[in-house]
Amino acid sequence: MEPGFIFLAIGYALLFLAFLGYLASISARQRRLEDRLEQLQGRADSK
Amino acid sequence: MTPTRTEPAISPLAAVSAAAMLIGLWAIFFWVPTEAFQGQVQRLFYIHVPSAWIAYLAYAVVLVASIAFLARGGERWDQLAHSSAEVGVFFTGAALVTGMLWAKPVWGTFWRWDPRLTLTFVLFLIYVAYLVFRALAEPGEESRSGRIAAVIGIVGFVAVPLIHFSVDWWVGQHPGRTVINPQDNPQLPGEMLITLLWMVFVFTLLYTVMMGMRMRLARAQAALIRSEAGV
Repeated sequence: MEPGFIFLAIGYALLFLAFLGYLASISARQRRLEDRLEQLQGRADSK
Repeated sequence: MTPTRTEPAISPLAAVSAAAMLIGLWAIFFWVPTEAFQGQVQRLFYIHVPSAWIAYLAYAVVLVASIAFLARGGERWDQLAHSSAEVGVFFTGAALVTGMLWAKPVWGTFWRWDPRLTLTFVLFLIYVAYLVFRALAEPGEESRSGRIAAVIGIVGFVAVPLIHFSVDWWVGQHPGRTVINPQDNPQLPGEMLITLLWMVFVFTLLYTVMMGMRMRLARAQAALIRSEAGV
């Protein structure tokens, strides 16, 4: 196997993992904020 | 506007991006001929160059949104600048890492302090500093920290034209401009040029998807700050 192929495979794998990881981090942050917003709205409604 | 869980996600565009990416990957691995001198590793070019160009685009959006925020105010401009800076850092990191992986088999080393590489690293650090500054802003100081961040976002953009023209202005090891080249435009063979332009299109779609998600997050953050402040 050509040595450059290893670097090629690592490059594509890293890019896609980073991309999926970044999207997952945005989704997780979004869920946390929405949970917190719902908690605050629930407290406000119960007063 | 306060985002809600029922707000539609941008999944149709994400699906189009994924399909476009699959077509691009097919072209990269099965359609484009292998480059004669560099071999298989040259196929990193089709993600390295679009990553760098989309980073330029992201920082151009930071520039425009930051100027608009300073001139007119408005939370949305600040959110746009902040979101685009974060996505820009992602693409700059992708360009740096894919470039290093290309350099190892071709140059024999991951890194050289070449003008373009060094300036790209400086650009990366400027916008990482921008994000760190924003993350450290005191609660209640969002408007003031937004204005200071806008200045960093505007000044940081100076590095973009320097990077783009660095291969013409200074002697270095980074390959010269092969796509937008006034002397011989373009230098790339047809399949390589078509695949590269397709991947630029795909990365533009990805940027749009990421910005859509990141802007939604920014709106939720602003809504939470308002709720906590009792506004």
